[in-house]
Amino acid sequence: MKLTESQIQDLYAFTRKHFVEHYDLQTELVDHLANDIETMWQDKPKLSFEDARDKAFKKFGIFGFMEAIEQKSKAMNKRYMRYFWSELKLWFRVPQILATLSLFCVFYLSFSSSYMGVLSVVFYVVIAIWSIYKSIQLNRHFRGRKEKSNKKWLLEEMIYKQAGGTTLLFMSQIYTVFIISDNFSGNALAILFFAIIFTLLTLFNYISFELIPNKAEDLLNETYPEFSL
Amino acid sequence: MHKKIMYICVVMSNSKLYKGSLNTIILKLLNEQDKMYGYEITQKVKELTKGELKITEGALYPALHKLEAQGLLDVEVAKVDNRLRKYYKLTENGTKETANKLEELAEYIKTMQTLVNPKLA
Repeated sequence: MKLTESQIQDLYAFTRKHFVEHYDLQTELVDHLANDIETMWQDKPKLSFEDARDKAFKKFGIFGFMEAIEQKSKAMNKRYMRYFWSELKLWFRVPQILATLSLFCVFYLSFSSSYMGVLSVVFYVVIAIWSIYKSIQLNRHFRGRKEKSNKKWLLEEMIYKQAGGTTLLFMSQIYTVFIISDNFSGNALAILFFAIIFTLLTLFNYISFELIPNKAEDLLNETYPEFSL
Repeated sequence: MHKKIMYICVVMSNSKLYKGSLNTIILKLLNEQDKMYGYEITQKVKELTKGELKITEGALYPALHKLEAQGLLDVEVAKVDNRLRKYYKLTENGTKETANKLEELAEYIKTMQTLVNPKLA
């Protein structure tokens, strides 16, 4: 005996009820539960769908789907970081390295001037405002996509929402910039350090807010063979 | 030899020692089957060990996702009946790693035997 379409939909709802938010993991678990239920029906054809479903779920242990959710999110985080680093590496190769070096020079020369204190704050605020603007824009875009397809993919959420985490971290350090810029103006090593940090921050934010979201469709198709099914 | 392996299997299923060997078991099965889906893996292990060793669902999926993130497994999705099925298969790195893991496990079993049953070893 095979499961009907509405029973499959019921299994999707069941995984959502047990905290599996993302469609990719839901699909895998639904297939697993469905297979187990169909196997049980071979021996006990009279067993009700609900009882068979609960029995299949019990085999996942007391933590239910939690361990699978946790591991999936760790694995996807790893994948996201792999995409991120491969984008970052490009900025240290020809021709992008020219842009990276120019950016570094702009920061270095600005911080070498007597306006270091003011300029560091100005740059900081500009990057922060742009990041917040992009973060809000991406979040809105993500909500729109979700409403349209009614599905949420883990990597999609990371691409559109994880970027926001970087901004928060970035913003939380604003006070430190004020302190450091006052104490270290004129110190060659501090200028070099500041120029490197600002160059990297600009690159990190540009990659996570602009480049990766622009490639979202390709990355999602590469990660999820079922994305376009 | 067969007896020795059965003995190890029973010890493993009783004390959950197999947890550390789960990755090796998955890799080995995929090495022989080309591609498999989660439920199929649990059934295959049950069948091969005549029920002595049961892979728990709660441990299987975390292990599969970890191996996928490490680049050892690749995924394929197909529509089967009225649902989507996710298949796992070995990548090139996965095939290499399978050989390493099997060697490690064989070494471990040998060491355990010298400890638990010096006469047999």
